[in-house]
Amino acid sequence: MIELIVAVLRTATPMIYVAMAGVLAQRAGIWNLGLEGLMITGACAGVVLTEQTGSVAAGLAGAVLFSVLLSALLWLVIEKLRANPIIAGLGLTGLGLGGTDLAVQAVYGSEGAVTAPVGIPTLGPAFGQFGLLDVLILAMPFMVFALWVLLRRTRFGLRLAACGEHPFAARSVGADPARMRLIALLLGGMLAGLGGAELSLGGLQIFSVGMTAGRGFMAFAAVIFGAGHPVGATFAALFFALVEFMGIKAQLVFGERAPRDFVLMLPYLATVLGIWISARLRGGVPLNTIELRDG
Amino acid sequence: MEATGSRAHGGDGVAGAGEAALACTGLTIRFGDFTALADVTLSLAPRRIHAVCGQNGAGKTSFARACAGLIAPADGAIAISGRPLRAGQVADARAAGVELVHQSFALPPSFTVAEAMEFGLTGRAGAIYTRRGLQARWAGHLRALGVEAKPSARIRDLPVETQQAVEIARALAGEARILILDEPTAVLSPTATEALFARLRRLRDTGVTILIILHKIREVLAVADTVTVLRGGRLVAGPEDAGSVTSDSLARAIIGAPLRPAADAAADAAAGSVSRDDASEDLAALVGAATPHGMSRHPETATRRVAELAGVSTRPATDGQRLDAVDLVVRAGEILGIAGVEGNGQRPLVEALAGLVPLARGAVALDEADVTALSLAERRRRGLRIIPFERNTEGLSLSSPLWENFAARSLLGRSALALIDPKRLRGEAEAAFATWDVRYGSVENPARSLSGGNAQKVILAREIDAEARLIIMAQPTRGLDLGATAFVWQAMREARARGLGLILISSDLDELFDISDRVVVLQGGRVAGRFDPPYDLAAVGAAMVGGDH
Repeated sequence: MIELIVAVLRTATPMIYVAMAGVLAQRAGIWNLGLEGLMITGACAGVVLTEQTGSVAAGLAGAVLFSVLLSALLWLVIEKLRANPIIAGLGLTGLGLGGTDLAVQAVYGSEGAVTAPVGIPTLGPAFGQFGLLDVLILAMPFMVFALWVLLRRTRFGLRLAACGEHPFAARSVGADPARMRLIALLLGGMLAGLGGAELSLGGLQIFSVGMTAGRGFMAFAAVIFGAGHPVGATFAALFFALVEFMGIKAQLVFGERAPRDFVLMLPYLATVLGIWISARLRGGVPLNTIELRDG
Repeated sequence: MEATGSRAHGGDGVAGAGEAALACTGLTIRFGDFTALADVTLSLAPRRIHAVCGQNGAGKTSFARACAGLIAPADGAIAISGRPLRAGQVADARAAGVELVHQSFALPPSFTVAEAMEFGLTGRAGAIYTRRGLQARWAGHLRALGVEAKPSARIRDLPVETQQAVEIARALAGEARILILDEPTAVLSPTATEALFARLRRLRDTGVTILIILHKIREVLAVADTVTVLRGGRLVAGPEDAGSVTSDSLARAIIGAPLRPAADAAADAAAGSVSRDDASEDLAALVGAATPHGMSRHPETATRRVAELAGVSTRPATDGQRLDAVDLVVRAGEILGIAGVEGNGQRPLVEALAGLVPLARGAVALDEADVTALSLAERRRRGLRIIPFERNTEGLSLSSPLWENFAARSLLGRSALALIDPKRLRGEAEAAFATWDVRYGSVENPARSLSGGNAQKVILAREIDAEARLIIMAQPTRGLDLGATAFVWQAMREARARGLGLILISSDLDELFDISDRVVVLQGGRVAGRFDPPYDLAAVGAAMVGGDH
């Protein structure tokens, strides 16, 4: 049981940080499909900078910095160049995936994987199986709670929601939707960078090209599954992680009797089912009919 | 009350009233090449209700938005109680106490009433609240203003008049000293309008200066202390004491030219054969100067029933609208008006007639033949035509060429694999557009290139053809200017004269009363009243809100 809890937390936490970036953007009226790009950028920058400096703090700072810069770029493209946010987000994902590949090759040659000498500090062996939990995992519930308070229990959160849902209403009370979106994206960029760093620096301390493998998109799915609510998205990510854990367990149990690819597919199948269920619960409004408002 | 110069009248309404609550000098607003407001100078006295009126496109909304800081004027200055406003800064205008209530309300639909109160407050935005604390904080404010909405209710679940009351309460949450309302009566029933006016009078008596934009003269005379008229972006009169204004002089000031020629122009455009009485009555209805009464043009009851709903009920749609045991008959050569506050079954009525929703109960007949089980395509073949609610999303494909929009009517009934002849279809479209006096560049231009009036003419040209038997007109004149509105009415009268049956769904009672042979009121999906001319405004209004008067 403890093994399950620890494994699920370790798998879910990177996704949760990234999903919170998606929640922030969604509240501000942007469906951020660049989460995958932000996540891999954070993962890459975290390991590379840790490897170069020997300091995890520098790695985390770098992960946050690069992810924030990419988020600022996304804002520029959407708000100033008036690009479609969906296309711009997908472009950002492509930029992140390709850019990290290029960066690793430029610095380390054609290896495709980088190892960091140190990782994010954990509780350590004194805590038994819980010793595998690191500070970002432990901080995660507090971070989610803080974000929930910010979004749902402050006037700032109301204004952000107004910018997303009814930009004209926001403008009518003196809020600047473009500025609010910038704040949401930059704050989200910080969190997504941390999520990426947790993915690479949290466990194996390795960055390999393409290692996010769709987890950014699963974080996006968690945003939708959780109806844009920080706690909802967190539980959605935990659910996805649980399914993934069960998949690995199933692989061990069934061994050769079940096709490996089928077992690996389970988490993604669960994601699709989860989105379908949440859409049914909300009255069956598919994503593509959600109005993309301008500000 | 035609003014010779705006400045000469600037002081009339404020004599002896001290410093102006709101003053603007040389205010000019441009959108690209279009001048929405030109060199407007006026000053409004504090603690009074000032009406600003004019037709669509007169610049009323632009004026209101500039005062609230939502639009930066191209030229000129606005001062609140003598203090100049920084142009285009909502926060600055709000700090000076200016609050604007929009025509189509600006509250996020998913917010609760308490959240809607809170989100607009100025000051520290980071303070943490609890849900209960927030609701408790605003309950008293709402009660003091007589707003009957729970602080925990969602905006989207409230009826429009309550939404508006909430928005007014939102505007008064801070230290509002000048409240601007942009056509607040457009969505209200007569009873709710009266309640709004009573609320505004109470606010005025507590020291708030009110600027209310109206386009109905009857309403102006009912509520205003002073009247200001805009026409084509220019100040033509005011502010003048409402006591010195008559409905006739106000109508003249709003319309500009003497009454007759304007009516003739509209009639000519429609190549109409309708009497003078109709035309001048139309104008009266347009500005709401009088409540016109349909004349005795009742068709003989022996004529064919082109449409009939017998006990029709539908299941609630996603917005909760439904029909509940509705019986209606439309005969050849008559216009049946459907009155009602929006959202009381108008859309399900159209969908039931069109066959777009399955009926829970009842039957629909077209031209005395049961069509309950037939598709829209089959019903169209039998002469059903629809002018839909939303011109730009349901009526036209804005990105498609005009000829494709026009050809859509004949393509529905054909096989998906049938070949089409674009050249012939383009020719048909050109011919029809010429008949209907559509002003356009080329039939290859997208529909979005047309103005609202011309876009509506394209739909009319498409829908009102030789085979039409029943035409449903859903809000056909909403957002149209005077000339285009008169054109649409003319087209309806001609269709009636040709023996077609028409259903006119409108939220404008003046329009309904002017043109309908009978009026049916929908309330909560039921027929709440059936009226014959001459119409009794109070009785119709009571039926709209479910009153038992």
